[in-house]
Amino acid sequence: MGTILGYFRNILTGFWNLVLGLSVTTKYLFKKTNTQQYPEERMPLPARSRSMIKLIYDGEKDQFNCVACMMCAKACPNSCIKLEGVRGPDGKRRMTTFKLDFSTCIFCGYCVEACGFDALTFVSEEYENSVYKRGSLLQDEQAMKWVRPPHLAPKPEEPAATAAGAQA
Amino acid sequence: MISGEKLVQLVSSLLQQVYALLDLSAYAGILDRVVCAVVMFGFVAVFVMFLVWMERKVSAHMQSRIGPNRVGPLGLLQTLADAIKLTTKEDVRPAKRDKIPYFIAPILAFVATFMGMVVVPFDNKMVVADLNIGVLYIIAITSFTVIAILSAGWSSNNKYSLLGGFRSAAQIVSYEVPLVLSLVPVIMITGKLNFSGIVQYQQQAGYWFVFPQFVAFITFIASATAEANRAPFDIPEAESELTGGFHTEYSGVKFAMFFLGEYVAVVVSSAVAATVFLGGWLPPLHFLGFIPGFVWFMLKVLLIIYLIMAFRWTFPRLRVDQLMDFGWKVLIPVTILNILVTGFVVLLFGKGA
Repeated sequence: MGTILGYFRNILTGFWNLVLGLSVTTKYLFKKTNTQQYPEERMPLPARSRSMIKLIYDGEKDQFNCVACMMCAKACPNSCIKLEGVRGPDGKRRMTTFKLDFSTCIFCGYCVEACGFDALTFVSEEYENSVYKRGSLLQDEQAMKWVRPPHLAPKPEEPAATAAGAQA
Repeated sequence: MISGEKLVQLVSSLLQQVYALLDLSAYAGILDRVVCAVVMFGFVAVFVMFLVWMERKVSAHMQSRIGPNRVGPLGLLQTLADAIKLTTKEDVRPAKRDKIPYFIAPILAFVATFMGMVVVPFDNKMVVADLNIGVLYIIAITSFTVIAILSAGWSSNNKYSLLGGFRSAAQIVSYEVPLVLSLVPVIMITGKLNFSGIVQYQQQAGYWFVFPQFVAFITFIASATAEANRAPFDIPEAESELTGGFHTEYSGVKFAMFFLGEYVAVVVSSAVAATVFLGGWLPPLHFLGFIPGFVWFMLKVLLIIYLIMAFRWTFPRLRVDQLMDFGWKVLIPVTILNILVTGFVVLLFGKGA
């Protein structure tokens, strides 16, 4: 008798589990899809993602931030940065030409780290870096010109008092 | 107000005038049949295209994808593009095939299931041939697919095809039994083998048979899914085990025929389930009667087809021995028990219970 009851209980629990499975798939049927249709819909990358290196251009002063200190060119492990600068009439050095060969660049970010004048940066919005000719990968300062939008402006550093306050 | 009966009268009177115009009135009987066949074929072909699109959409959304959306609005024409591609493809045939069965199998696979559509009542009086023994006819004629699949498997001269054909034969033969047995209680209650008669009985009784015969409904859907060789019962064409199963060696139009046949089998069994268990063309509530019956019928068919599609994209495939276990040790005893219980109830309370 127990085995017969077990047989029917088995069938009923099996049936109930099938219904549960169907409810899961039916729930997903009405959920939002995750697909992003790439050429039409572009995924907004996180603001700090390393997609492309750009030269920051200061719109107010109408000049690049770069002072041609050569720190980036020295930091580059592949020597793919070439730049020149001159001393301007106000006595400050200004970059005249800047060339970055993206065909050898490995996007290690050492140049951005080495830059002490907030002149080089990674940007997130430009990530379609493929080109038809290898020569197009050699970009100059005009191609790398980038004006920082206001919402990405660097925040003023927190005063050291907060750290001291946390310790206290 | 439009209804299926009026639509049929309108079309037939129109046809009469066309026959008279072309001086063909003497052949009206045959021509009516030809027109019915052509219309039915067109309907089935378009409906199957829609179903393929629907299946791809349903499966995609169940997996949080979008599915076809490039060809035509919402990707509706994707299946048409696939059909054009299939029909223009080269017909590759194995050199050592068994020529005649190889040629006949895809035709038989489609025709056998397509003939089932003949007795399906879309609305009151809107049926190609309202056979007195419609239930028997549909069960008999759709079983021909097993011959088609067996001969396809045998004549392809390919081990995968042969194994697929054998598996399919074993499966269809064993699931034919619960399929028929789950229709028997309804026949016992109504005393009719005629689909329109069964629907009219439900109209008079005021309930659909899915409520008193829920077990039979479930077993029917399960065995119909197995009959149509669809997942989770798709071991005859299990990709991971048998590449393509019985249609491994078929390409182009012949493959399209098998594909069409599979979907028509789904349509036929859904139509039978909708007619027998869900009240066919009857509206679910009385005040909804202003919507024509064939719309209700198609909605019910689509509901059951959705259920069968959800089975495919939810349940994992059964092993061969599990498949046989499920057929012989679960479905058949349950249906027989259901018949026994129904028999007692009919004996106690009379045929109208």
